[in-house]
Amino acid sequence: MVYDIAEERVNKVLKISRKYLDWIQNSVLEGEITKAKFEKLKVELRKVINEEKDSIIFYILRTTLYSEKEIIGRTKGGSKLII
Amino acid sequence: MKGTIFVFSNGTLKRKDNTIYFEGENDLKKFVPIENTIEIHIFGEVTINKDVLEFFSQKEILLHFYNYYGYYVGTYYPREHYNSGFMILKQAEHYIDPIKRLVLARKFVAGGVRNMEKVISYYNSRSVDLSSTLEKIANLKQLITSQNDINQLMAIEGNIREIYYSAFDSIINDENFAMEERSKRPPKNRLNALISFGNTLLYTTILSEIYKTHLDPRIGYLHATNFRRFTLNLDVSEVFKPIIVDRMIFYLLNKGIIKPKDFDNSLGGLYLKEQGRAAFIEKFDERLSTTVKYRKIGKDVSYRRLLRLELYKIEKHLMGEEEYEPFLAEW
Repeated sequence: MVYDIAEERVNKVLKISRKYLDWIQNSVLEGEITKAKFEKLKVELRKVINEEKDSIIFYILRTTLYSEKEIIGRTKGGSKLII
Repeated sequence: MKGTIFVFSNGTLKRKDNTIYFEGENDLKKFVPIENTIEIHIFGEVTINKDVLEFFSQKEILLHFYNYYGYYVGTYYPREHYNSGFMILKQAEHYIDPIKRLVLARKFVAGGVRNMEKVISYYNSRSVDLSSTLEKIANLKQLITSQNDINQLMAIEGNIREIYYSAFDSIINDENFAMEERSKRPPKNRLNALISFGNTLLYTTILSEIYKTHLDPRIGYLHATNFRRFTLNLDVSEVFKPIIVDRMIFYLLNKGIIKPKDFDNSLGGLYLKEQGRAAFIEKFDERLSTTVKYRKIGKDVSYRRLLRLELYKIEKHLMGEEEYEPFLAEW
């Protein structure tokens, strides 16, 4: 999930998203989510954003089989499993 | 797929912005998505307040605590949300009636033994000759059905397990990880430390799955119900130890992922150091999410799901709908 939200609402969006997904870096989150939870997330987000001005994009991968992640520089969000 | 979190750092676990927030030493700050969490395993020194416990109860999340040596300390088991007086009565009925109890106890032992045989025959077909082990287990196995006493049954199970463990040395073939004999509290050598740690993780994982059913973890059948502990998870783990924990240990050692330097010798026992534990846990989590074909429903299911399906089978048995047949690995 990536987003571009006006400053006055950006924190609300981040707070909602953090309940469902892992924070990766500013305006970017990722994670595995069920269909139902995904709908819940979208409902919650719609309540706070201004659909005229803000934008949220979800990249949906059904399987991680053909996807790859490459990071250059510092990794901001750490390991998902172990704190 | 909902996830499990393991906390090794020292710090405070908080509720913040309606999700889980961990604040630790060295400026560590981390948000954990609450909606995607089923259980949290705590190994570090963690401060918790009532607010966060309330939150976990509401979201039905279990907290498993371990001490410095990785021993299981206890679980924060939130208020039951699947209250079923009927199931408790059925569970008790099958415990109090010695014949009904024996039926279930034998199933757990037989299931465990069959899976041990699976593991051994897998390695037997891959260059290590373990045919004499298989033969010895097959001989003892016949005695399971004729036992009319739980203690005798457990003794047979113990004998089979001893034979089974004695085959570990030929499978692992590394003198740094010799079995010698099974030792617990404290484990006397590295292999025993690995087995103990793996079994502990399996017990708690099954406990988390029991929480999502109507079953009461306090009433077990092979393991006697007492005043102290959860026992149903110990029963179910008998069936899965060989295929989940033991095979994972062979993998970790044969691939050199865990090495002798990952262990610490203290208080007369050997324990895994943090780095070793982390490597173990990562593999354990991966194993639980590995999927296998489940013939009965013709679908791919993860090992974690398999644990839950096993509990549903037990529920059906208790309700008299379908006799319980323990899971048998099919690979």
